[in-house]
Amino acid sequence: MATLQEIVSKQVPLAPGHRMCSGCSIPVIVNTIIAASDKPVIIANATGCLEVASTIYPFTAWKVPWMHLTFENAAAVAAGIETAYKAFKKRGKMKDDVNIIAFGGDGGTYDIGFQALSGALERGHKFLYVVYDNEGYMNTGNQRSGATPFGADTTTVPAGTMSIGKTQWRKNIVEICAAHRIPYAAQATAHNTLDLFNKAKKAFAADGPSFIAALQPCTTNWKYDTALTMAYSKLAVETNFWPLYEVENGKVHINYKPKERKPIEEFLKGQGRFRHLFKPENRHVIEEMQKMIDEEWERLLKLEESQVQI
Amino acid sequence: MGEKLLMKGSEAIAEAAIRAGAMAFFGYPITPQNETPEYFSRRMPELGRVFLQAESEVAAINMVYGAACTGTRAITTSSSPGISLMQEGFSYIANTNVPCVVVNAMRGGPGLGDIAPAQADYFQATKGGGHGDYHSIVIAPHTVQEEADLMFDAFELADKYRIMVVVLVDGLLGQMMEPVEFKDWVDVKKFKTPEWATVGQGDRAQRNILISFDILAEGLEKMNLVLQNKYAKIRENEVRFEEYKMDDADYAITAFGTVARIAKTTIELARNEGIKIGLIRPITLYPFPEKVIENRASNVKFFFDTEMNEGQMLEDVKLAVNGKKPVYFHGRLGGIVPTAEEILDEFKKHLGG
Repeated sequence: MATLQEIVSKQVPLAPGHRMCSGCSIPVIVNTIIAASDKPVIIANATGCLEVASTIYPFTAWKVPWMHLTFENAAAVAAGIETAYKAFKKRGKMKDDVNIIAFGGDGGTYDIGFQALSGALERGHKFLYVVYDNEGYMNTGNQRSGATPFGADTTTVPAGTMSIGKTQWRKNIVEICAAHRIPYAAQATAHNTLDLFNKAKKAFAADGPSFIAALQPCTTNWKYDTALTMAYSKLAVETNFWPLYEVENGKVHINYKPKERKPIEEFLKGQGRFRHLFKPENRHVIEEMQKMIDEEWERLLKLEESQVQI
Repeated sequence: MGEKLLMKGSEAIAEAAIRAGAMAFFGYPITPQNETPEYFSRRMPELGRVFLQAESEVAAINMVYGAACTGTRAITTSSSPGISLMQEGFSYIANTNVPCVVVNAMRGGPGLGDIAPAQADYFQATKGGGHGDYHSIVIAPHTVQEEADLMFDAFELADKYRIMVVVLVDGLLGQMMEPVEFKDWVDVKKFKTPEWATVGQGDRAQRNILISFDILAEGLEKMNLVLQNKYAKIRENEVRFEEYKMDDADYAITAFGTVARIAKTTIELARNEGIKIGLIRPITLYPFPEKVIENRASNVKFFFDTEMNEGQMLEDVKLAVNGKKPVYFHGRLGGIVPTAEEILDEFKKHLGG
């Protein structure tokens, strides 16, 4: 088991000087995951915050092989790389083992890239898909996505007198991926770096496709103080809004159970995108959210306890 | 006409479309035109109309296709890479003969390109773009006021010919703010469901069928001929252009959209030096105003085409001039906007002795 010291002392693949927003935890997610690989990595990166901010022409922040792709095709290109790599190995043209990683935002994963992701998982390519999930199209100005939570204000589902913001629940992307019967799927955050690191280790060791959804609080469009990214990341876990769990060969294991579940208000408080929910007429939205979170947590506990296959 | 408002082009497009009777908007985020869907997302629910953010551009255009089959005024807006993803839908819409409006705020390409203004999707828009022998009506405004005015015409033309109308702009025309006065609201209560629309059989003797294929080649050829007849009528009746200072011009600049407005400044600069240049500005890029260009070929010494691409409309200009006079060209690529002085300098290189 690695220590935090060991993880952070590894050479980071993403060089300083990239243009990620101040307070963004995407670099932590990327560096931690790649640090968990004991083999060289090849990165396939969908259009999104990470791609735009790490490759401002003519510069690049990447110190590892990296390829930018269309918005909808990170998993498809990763599948292509893996297939070519296997063919080269078979013919003896390559000897080294590599880990292939696809990075996408939630727009490029839950929405436009979902078809390619599902296809690659079903075919069984050995690669790790990582979604850095900031719960919306943050690179293009905060439009809603399939990951945007219930009740959030975005530019395309604006909250107002007639609307509470988004009225749908987000997709359960980890269970959707696990339902492809892949060997490993997990949910993680940047603030629990060791947990994220260990999950990446397991993902690389899996014999087949693996998937990690990492929550990425967005200081710009969740609208909170840039110093509070890790605090919100932690609150998401402590409120059970974003449980840390993994699905190994279809079996659920919860990695962290808060001793006392904090009320969801504590996560919502101070985020501009949820400000409207604190008006008296919108209290019911917070109550509904709390009910949903508690029900989901209970369901997750049951899945863990019963060890029923997802 | 109402009061004069100061508005961004990308928002004026949305407001004009709403006033022109757009009942449903479907779209997907892409820079540099996110202000347009965001504006729709605020306004459409207020009016009891539809705003829907799709999961991809492929889904968005097929939602437009679905709505259009019911005779509903439907619109999507996007930018170059998103428009590329929509091409299959465009082709189906063409052969199914349903009306809709698509706005393309062009950006630098190919590939991911950049988000700066460009005109490099001219071929894609005017020659079809998707598979098969088809055209869309393509209109190219050059001011915010014209963007607002032409949105009304776009919906009218789409309904009149049961065709897709592309409004071709760029990030510059979307981001700039100019005074704009909107035409009167179209009374959507007076909309009648078109006879061909698939909204249930109702009292009709037979159900309506909308279809984009015929598995037998003879049948498909007939469908194609229906399209071609429609395009012939459009070429006959719907050509629009502006002639600017052409009456006494010794030379003609041809340009559309953003570059056309820059060219107007070039013409002022040239005329201050005693060089009489005029501008022929196609407003419809398809149908292309070939006759006016052909006619002017007898008055001018040469044509000078200028675009933000490597000479796409140039080909249509050359076909219209048909060798009668030289056609020179200056283009900038990848999202660079030429200056009026630069265009004049390039133009002067062809003056000779």
